[in-house]
Amino acid sequence: MAKKILLVEDEEIMIDLLQRNLAKEGYEVFIARDGEEGLRIMKEAMPDIVLLDVVMPKMNGFEVMEEMAKDKILAKIPVIIISNSGQPVELDRVQKLGAKDWLIKTEFDPQGVVDKVEKQIAK
Amino acid sequence: MKKNPNKKTAEKIKETRPLATVTELLEISRKKEKEAQEMDRIIRTLVRKNFELSEIKEKRKAELRELEIKTRELEKTRVALINMLEDVEKARKKAEEEKNKTLAVITNFADGLLVFNKEGRLILINPQAEGFFNVKSRDLIGRSVLELNISPTLEPLTELLGGEIKGIFRKELPTRENLTLEVSTVSMMSGEETLGRLVILHDITREKMIEKMKTEFVSISAHQLRTPLSAIKWTLRMLLDGDLGEMTLEQRDFIEKTYWSNERMITLINDLLNVTRIEEGRYLYRPALTDIGPVVQLVIDSFREEIKRKNIECEFRKPEKKLPKIMMDAEKIELAVQNLLDNAIRYTRLGGKVIISLKHGKNEVEFSIADNGVGIPKDQQQRVFTRFFRGVNVIRLETEGTGLGLYIAKNIIETHGGKIWFESEEGKGTTFYFTLPVKKEFEELSEEF
Repeated sequence: MAKKILLVEDEEIMIDLLQRNLAKEGYEVFIARDGEEGLRIMKEAMPDIVLLDVVMPKMNGFEVMEEMAKDKILAKIPVIIISNSGQPVELDRVQKLGAKDWLIKTEFDPQGVVDKVEKQIAK
Repeated sequence: MKKNPNKKTAEKIKETRPLATVTELLEISRKKEKEAQEMDRIIRTLVRKNFELSEIKEKRKAELRELEIKTRELEKTRVALINMLEDVEKARKKAEEEKNKTLAVITNFADGLLVFNKEGRLILINPQAEGFFNVKSRDLIGRSVLELNISPTLEPLTELLGGEIKGIFRKELPTRENLTLEVSTVSMMSGEETLGRLVILHDITREKMIEKMKTEFVSISAHQLRTPLSAIKWTLRMLLDGDLGEMTLEQRDFIEKTYWSNERMITLINDLLNVTRIEEGRYLYRPALTDIGPVVQLVIDSFREEIKRKNIECEFRKPEKKLPKIMMDAEKIELAVQNLLDNAIRYTRLGGKVIISLKHGKNEVEFSIADNGVGIPKDQQQRVFTRFFRGVNVIRLETEGTGLGLYIAKNIIETHGGKIWFESEEGKGTTFYFTLPVKKEFEELSEEF
């Protein structure tokens, strides 16, 4: 059975590129365009991994992680942060919130994301 | 004039006694003689007394004259004294006026002022300073710097000044929300003698706010620019990887060039963000004991293609003995070395030479990077580490470059407690050096988001 990935990202072109690459690798990809929607889909679909943007409308990535931590089941889902700013302080905070890994968009390309996802799921 | 006594006696005789014997006459004559002698003695005495009297009179006169002279002199002295008293009074009034003027200047001065005497006790605090710290002069006068701590609002200032009031020049002091002061101390001297110290507090809240707004503007713009740049990067990468179908060689060539232009833009934005972080004092450092050799090697390796393209001879000289580990943020030092190597390669002509070396100094590790490139013109050397600086000769050589690399490198090295400097001759080449202390540990700087 295909592994499920939830992509929470508000930038349309990023969604397109990532979805394309991940689907090509055989993953089932769910899309959420803000934090709130992300949490909702997370509860319904129970993904194997979450790819989470930080700066988003309605609920940002930090808040999503805080909500996840409150829920016993959601807390177990590994999270990879896709950061736009790559500010050390931002990375510090998501690390403290329990993110398994992170990547800075300008330093990676879609294949890099796929590699990180594979690495996490293989664990 | 007195009558002759002998004549008087004879007349008396003629009147009362018509005749007298010779003996009687003789007797009378003797008596008269005696009387005459007595008279003579009395007269002489009188004359002498008279003389003595006139002498005394003369003496008195002389004394009087002397007294008059003395009185005149005294009078003169009195006038002089009165004049002097008037002068003193004038001087006192003038001094009072001057004091009032000085006080008025101090009181109405836009800056806060604190005056300490040579014993280090507060003798004056003007209303501005009272306002800055929300304190009252009467509670503080006569106290030493450390004793000013009774008012908690003064704590940041007393901490900065220290017990002995050290010399401070334009040091920033955030006191409370919405108030940032710039503190300077001045020694008040009269000739060689120290009269005390003056503490000047200049309100720079507005300047700080403008600076913050400027930095925030750059920071937000840079962040906003990153999103589309990432999207472009990812799209171009997919095109280049053939994920969106095959391309002709020409198409591929153009896309590749666009990809690298985009990468340069990302570097520029990252530089700008680093500068804003440095300026906001929230450039995070994560120090750990690190071997600097492999860090430098990593940077050299990342430039391998560029070194090959420009046919530059690049040599890395390491000491025979292993270098001690340094307490440093490897990522930041890597960035500093990267900026220095990037410059060395960029501004060295095809076939040039770059020598990188690491040495063990007394209590430090010294890094140097020498090139035989274009050099820095003498008249511009002072500005090398300032933001956006680019030498006129290198702008002609290559338009690309932000002028931020050395500014960032200097901040990184200095935060590590190290020094950075260079030697350069236009047309011959440049050598940049930096040192990092071996034993010194520096605190992890916290970053506020």
